[in-house]
Amino acid sequence: MTTITNDFGTIQSAPSGVQRIWNVARLQFSNKWQTLGVPWLAMGIIFLFNLVIWWFIATAGQPDEDTGSSYNGASFYLFVYMLVIAIQAMSRTFPFALGFSVTRRDYYLGTSLAFAIYSIGYGAALTFLSYVEEWTQGWGVGLTLFGTALLTTNSFWLRLFIYVAVLLVFFLIGMVCGTVYVRWRANGLVALGVAVALLTIGSVALATLTESWDLVGEWFLSSGVVGVTSWFLLFSTVFAIIGFFILRRATPQN
Amino acid sequence: MTAVVEVTNLSKRFGNVHAVDDVSFTVAENKIYGLLGRNAAGKTTLMQLLTGQEFATSGTIKVFGQSPVENASVLERLCFIKESQRYPENFKPRHVFTTAPWFFPHWDAEFAARLISDFKLPVNRKIKKLSRGQLSAVGVIVGLASRAPLTFFDEPYLGLDAVARQIFYDRLLEDYAKHPRTVILSTHLIDEVSELLEHVLVIDEGQIIIDQDADELRESATTVSGMATSVDSFVRDRQVLHRSRIGGLATATVGRLSPEDRTAAGAAGLELSPVSLQQLIVRITGSAEQEVEQSA
Repeated sequence: MTTITNDFGTIQSAPSGVQRIWNVARLQFSNKWQTLGVPWLAMGIIFLFNLVIWWFIATAGQPDEDTGSSYNGASFYLFVYMLVIAIQAMSRTFPFALGFSVTRRDYYLGTSLAFAIYSIGYGAALTFLSYVEEWTQGWGVGLTLFGTALLTTNSFWLRLFIYVAVLLVFFLIGMVCGTVYVRWRANGLVALGVAVALLTIGSVALATLTESWDLVGEWFLSSGVVGVTSWFLLFSTVFAIIGFFILRRATPQN
Repeated sequence: MTAVVEVTNLSKRFGNVHAVDDVSFTVAENKIYGLLGRNAAGKTTLMQLLTGQEFATSGTIKVFGQSPVENASVLERLCFIKESQRYPENFKPRHVFTTAPWFFPHWDAEFAARLISDFKLPVNRKIKKLSRGQLSAVGVIVGLASRAPLTFFDEPYLGLDAVARQIFYDRLLEDYAKHPRTVILSTHLIDEVSELLEHVLVIDEGQIIIDQDADELRESATTVSGMATSVDSFVRDRQVLHRSRIGGLATATVGRLSPEDRTAAGAAGLELSPVSLQQLIVRITGSAEQEVEQSA
């Protein structure tokens, strides 16, 4: 008779803190269609349309040497979609996770971890595509969809950093909007929108009245793409920390 | 008796509404509790407070000796199934059952599979497309298969038919016998679960008005019926929960009767019958309302 290892009666040990956070991250990955399928499908369609249009242009006449950067902003869609995913994930998985006896802390940290992993994955893919774009001279038709004039001058690591950072900025902003929605529902989002609009108008007015637009422009130029991205990342991180405290007092509503 | 839940002077206000109003009670380990009460009596709010989903306005809650709020070591021993549970966009029941074991350490996948076939639940249909009863079945399966030491069922079977409800009661009792745990069940279908319950908590307008062993509670009231004059004289010095009269005949629901009382009632030609838990609770919560109306 063979001895069978008997697991009966052993109770699975309670998951540790890290394991609990990872479990929430896995929960965010469990719906891959929404977070991977839809964005890449849409991106693929956008890419094909652009390719056809640029092929028409390329065959219609001789490419002009002075065209310069022809980045048309289509891949910007992906960044905005990250923001949407973050808001959706918050409003949908928060009441679900709390129903599964998850603490708000573990939920927020696990969700942030999931978004960080998505940012790295998407960032790596976009970096790769930007290189393919370069090697194929704009997919053979001079189309610039993934790289920009700003990016193509940078090294591999800087390119990756900029992509990942910008994706993270959008995710984190989405997360903050999500926490505001979960805590104060639509009213909260309206108030947040008004506050952001007021802040923007205020800053513009300040810059105009003090005639400091030159300084602003100078700052952007001197900081460079990496510098500006880093600042955005820093601000978003601050917002994400605020988001954490907003969520700590949120209750799942119907 | 080990107390799994200890609640002291707990209150929860939403603006001017006292959803839970200065409530104190304890819940003993490995018993099935019924949390009964009318709509908007505060049942769901109370459960949300006990599971750390809502924040108390005042008072203390101890679950397994600690506050449940943001306390992972307490929460992972809880499972709260509520009627209005929301699921992520595009989730199928299959996703719910694959993710559940990550959060419930005692999850039994075999038991879940058996329940899925018992309830004939289509696991590959999108949750949004499930019928109300199928949606309730998802919650019931999670609540049973998670085997959490403290499980809350808040109106778990909206839309489930009588057969499915019976499956739920049977499986709950079977599994409870094999794996004892504390269950708190809130429901409107009091008579259906009456046999299941070992202890009854009745909440009305945010206050616990009954906190009693189920058997004691059942014995605590009797219906007396017979000639109106005999009934009247029998109940004269007693607390009457309910009274009705048709012509010369009357019935009255009164409190606990001693063996002497029973003999006296028999001698007076009165008939005694037990009161179902449902009737009793309807009478008690209904009479509270009448008093309010009278005093108003």
